[in-house]
Amino acid sequence: MASILYTLGAVNSKISRFLFVACLVVLFFAASINYLYSQENGDCLECHTDPSKVDVKVRVDHVTGEVEIVSMLVDEDAFHSSAHGGEDFYCIDCHADLEESEGEHNPNLQPVDCITFCNDDPGAEFLEGSHVKLMKENDVQPPTCKYCHAGVKSKRDVPKADDLYHRKDTIDKCGGCHEEFYYSYRNNLHGQVTALGHVDTDIATCVDCHGQHTILNSSDSESTLGADNVIETCSVCHPGANDNFVKHVAHPKYKNIAYYKSVFGAVKDIRKDPERISGIVKSPQMIITILFVVYVGILVMTFSGFGMHSVLTWLSTILDERKGKESKHDKR
Amino acid sequence: MTNDNHFLRFSLFHRFSHFLVIISFFGLVLTGMPLVFKDYGWAHWLYGVMGGYPTAGNIHRICALITFFAAFLHFAFLSVQTLVKKDRGIFWGPDSLLIQPKDLLNILGDVLWFFRLGSRPKYDRWIYWEKMEYLSLMWGTFVMASTGFVLWFPVQATSLVPAKLAAIIDLPSLALVAHRYEALLAAGFIFTIHFFHTHLLPENIPMDEAMFTGRISEEHMSHERGVYYERLKESGDLESLKVRPAGCGGSLFSKILGIPFLVIGLLMVGFMLSSLIISLVDMCC
Repeated sequence: MASILYTLGAVNSKISRFLFVACLVVLFFAASINYLYSQENGDCLECHTDPSKVDVKVRVDHVTGEVEIVSMLVDEDAFHSSAHGGEDFYCIDCHADLEESEGEHNPNLQPVDCITFCNDDPGAEFLEGSHVKLMKENDVQPPTCKYCHAGVKSKRDVPKADDLYHRKDTIDKCGGCHEEFYYSYRNNLHGQVTALGHVDTDIATCVDCHGQHTILNSSDSESTLGADNVIETCSVCHPGANDNFVKHVAHPKYKNIAYYKSVFGAVKDIRKDPERISGIVKSPQMIITILFVVYVGILVMTFSGFGMHSVLTWLSTILDERKGKESKHDKR
Repeated sequence: MTNDNHFLRFSLFHRFSHFLVIISFFGLVLTGMPLVFKDYGWAHWLYGVMGGYPTAGNIHRICALITFFAAFLHFAFLSVQTLVKKDRGIFWGPDSLLIQPKDLLNILGDVLWFFRLGSRPKYDRWIYWEKMEYLSLMWGTFVMASTGFVLWFPVQATSLVPAKLAAIIDLPSLALVAHRYEALLAAGFIFTIHFFHTHLLPENIPMDEAMFTGRISEEHMSHERGVYYERLKESGDLESLKVRPAGCGGSLFSKILGIPFLVIGLLMVGFMLSSLIISLVDMCC
């Protein structure tokens, strides 16, 4: 009985060994066939780094309709340091319609689909988020992946998340639409430091507070700045952030003329709509604005007063000298 | 006719304190102002020269500590004068830096002088605008230090605010506004009013060396601070203040030290003022 069992086991192991080798062989062939039919990046770069072989091309964005002239030359260093520049990325991963072509190819390729096979999660987060929903409701064209994730010279050099150019570019791109918030951000310490060119991860840009793809309104409790998450969000840079700290006004309005207009408007309508003015008064913006206005007053009064004093002292001294009124001087 | 008598106007202690204030003030202004004028090229350049982020910020904090040290020295001096030496003159009387009734008369006299309705009043030891500068330095240091600490330790500072008030009082934002505009006030004041009233007056141009050499000539003293001069002469204290005139080296040293600061300050005013004008024009048009 034991011997039968043993033979069976031996047969079994032989079969499994055979199957294993067979699988390996099949896999190897499959891989090499695939390899045979796919181009190495070098094949593409042979032409795409040679200015005598490739030139510029007019590209029409298939979503926005934006027309631009782009160079077909690939800057190898810039590409390799980009998010898609790793060893296991191939040109044809994105330009899938070139998979089986060899040599010269049709210049008009299919638009690259960033989302479907590779970046479906962030894509879905973004496309299903309230930011895009609101844009669609207002008939505004939502930005594409490539709009925000563009490299310095070419959209191809997709920057990594911590890339300094990308962080700066994000402020400009968010600010391009959200102008009011851009200026108020620049008026706060975060925005002042980033404006001077320091955009490293220890100073907050738009995405550090508002999140990256799921861009919810900050009044939404589920947003990164909502009641559930705000302490966690601020704590990334400010350890120990507490309930008081997170009430910080990151977008002060005291340099926004529209804010003053809304205050005056609310004062005018005080009888009709007392809620409005009480909302403005209870906001932390109010005291900040009062302090600003007081300081502007102090500055204007100090410099006009002392400035006048300086000028008059100068003039009077010179006039005295001319008249020889400096009696003490002369008598002695 | 001129004699070569010189008197001691500032002791070594006060000259050293003033030197500390100069060094720290310039460090603070040069590392802080670029943040205010962040939209202009000169600010980017200056911020880079000062080491950029975070170096410029660290220089700013070190200079703030030097300012605290100077303030500490000053309050230690005041304590010694009042508690140990029992000198009440620093609070009341002609030697005090606080505004006295006589100063109000001097202001009135100066206004009449501006309109050619009288001759210039004679001043005592401190002229009224010097007292105002001193008092604004006290006030300014207090505002800058307290708001600076809030900005340095924002999380700890906000925990001092009662929870009920936290919804309308945002301490870091208030501190930033006060720190920024008090800084503009201080830098603007020192680089224009202080410079023009002290150093760039027709009789002192290019600079009054008294705060560096500590010495003032008899001629200058009787002309600039007549009442003080007569008072000391009558009481006989004048002789005890008599010192050797500053040597050529001392004078040269104070010029080498003082004039670059003067030039940097005036350049900063030029940058700040032109940027302010440009941003006002931008806002209106």
